[in-house]
Amino acid sequence: MPETLPHSPNLLVKLQGKGSRNIDLALETLTIGRKADNTLVIEDPAVSGHHAQIVKVQAVFFLEDLKSTNGTAINGRPITRQQLRDADVITIGQHRLIFQENATDSTAAPVPFVDLDRTTVLRGVDRTPDRPTLTAKILIVAGKTDRLEYTLTKQVNLIGSQDGATIRLTGWFAPKSAAAIARRGHSYTLSPSHGVKSLRVNGTEVVGQQDLKDGDQIEVAGVKLTFCVLSGTKNTPR
Amino acid sequence: MGGGNAGEIASALAVESVRAHLAEATRHVDLPLIGPCDATVSAPANRLASAIRAANDAVHRESWSRPEYAGMGTTVVAALLFEEILVIAHVGDSRLYLIRDGTIQALTTDHSWVAEQIFKGIMTETEAEQSPRRNIVTRAIGVESNVDVELTEVPVKGGDMLLLCSDGLTRGVRASDILHILSGSDDLPIMSDRLITMANEAGGDDNTTVVIVALRDDLQAGLWERLKKRFVA
Repeated sequence: MPETLPHSPNLLVKLQGKGSRNIDLALETLTIGRKADNTLVIEDPAVSGHHAQIVKVQAVFFLEDLKSTNGTAINGRPITRQQLRDADVITIGQHRLIFQENATDSTAAPVPFVDLDRTTVLRGVDRTPDRPTLTAKILIVAGKTDRLEYTLTKQVNLIGSQDGATIRLTGWFAPKSAAAIARRGHSYTLSPSHGVKSLRVNGTEVVGQQDLKDGDQIEVAGVKLTFCVLSGTKNTPR
Repeated sequence: MGGGNAGEIASALAVESVRAHLAEATRHVDLPLIGPCDATVSAPANRLASAIRAANDAVHRESWSRPEYAGMGTTVVAALLFEEILVIAHVGDSRLYLIRDGTIQALTTDHSWVAEQIFKGIMTETEAEQSPRRNIVTRAIGVESNVDVELTEVPVKGGDMLLLCSDGLTRGVRASDILHILSGSDDLPIMSDRLITMANEAGGDDNTTVVIVALRDDLQAGLWERLKKRFVA
């Protein structure tokens, strides 16, 4: 199942008037204050020289106020020493520091940690390739059918007398299924049904199956049909 | 997929759910479809998709029942034959191959990260085979409350063979080698044993499932008859 690469806890620093940046909390102790010897220096008269520090005790982080003049708060409450939890907002003067325990890097590709031996699912992304926009029509030239024109909207379009056939033959001796026109990607293929004696395209007998092209004349089971690819649709090979 | 043997639980449950839904639909013709109806495919194809969605519901529900089932899932490829049309439904990287006139062709497109890279032209097939990300599927049964089932329909005829298989086979064994095995005998159990052996020799430590179907010319048996279906990796 999806797992994300482990990210160490970090601090999202939003200094008044200075934008924001991320600090990795890899160190045991991170000190915050106005003086230059702090890990995080905030040049603001409202911040004490050594204002506060974040101390890591095993896997737990604590925020300690170092008896600062103006105080330190977590989620709006002044503290002296308190454990930090994910998404806690630390306020020092006008500056905000957001503690992120399980930060994930939002700019990285959404690719889970991969164990080679296991199938893993990448979730939450719809990657369905676009459906082909190609459409085709059949025009009836001769023979008995229930309509004179058919749009081939299905993947497999049957020519026959049975219910569910796309091109419905209505002649007395019409077979239930005479042939099928199948779309695969951007091409249409014609194949005869079992037991059908003759299937011709442009006068030539079809052996096995045959790819159709615009204008092809099909003859089967006493009907003549013309295959047309609708203009304005893309017909690019995959 | 999923910790422990949860993957096997998921696939077994999926198989049973698909079977049960199809059996129910045979008894009650007006059994409502689960999920949307796709007008570009036949009624049996929509029924098969409905059965896969039933399996998704069952696995997804079960995955919340016990902590050790959390996040379990499975891939699926299922086929249904009615008259001379083969309906294929799949989710994930299990495949269906059509073997016809000495050629082999995959009729399914993997729902996997590497397949997308190949489709976009970013990766070659060879690069995909060696990619450390080749195990990432973009769709699966049971992982989410909804599933996008891909439906494919093709006309088939007597003499055709179908191979349904899990990624355990295709990860290590090339299509040309599969074709060689399937052309070398008339004995289906022997063929499937050989394929499994090849998958294992190629280092397939994933469970490998293969189902081989040979279509004969007398296949014009009753309407809507299910010749062979179902298989889950």
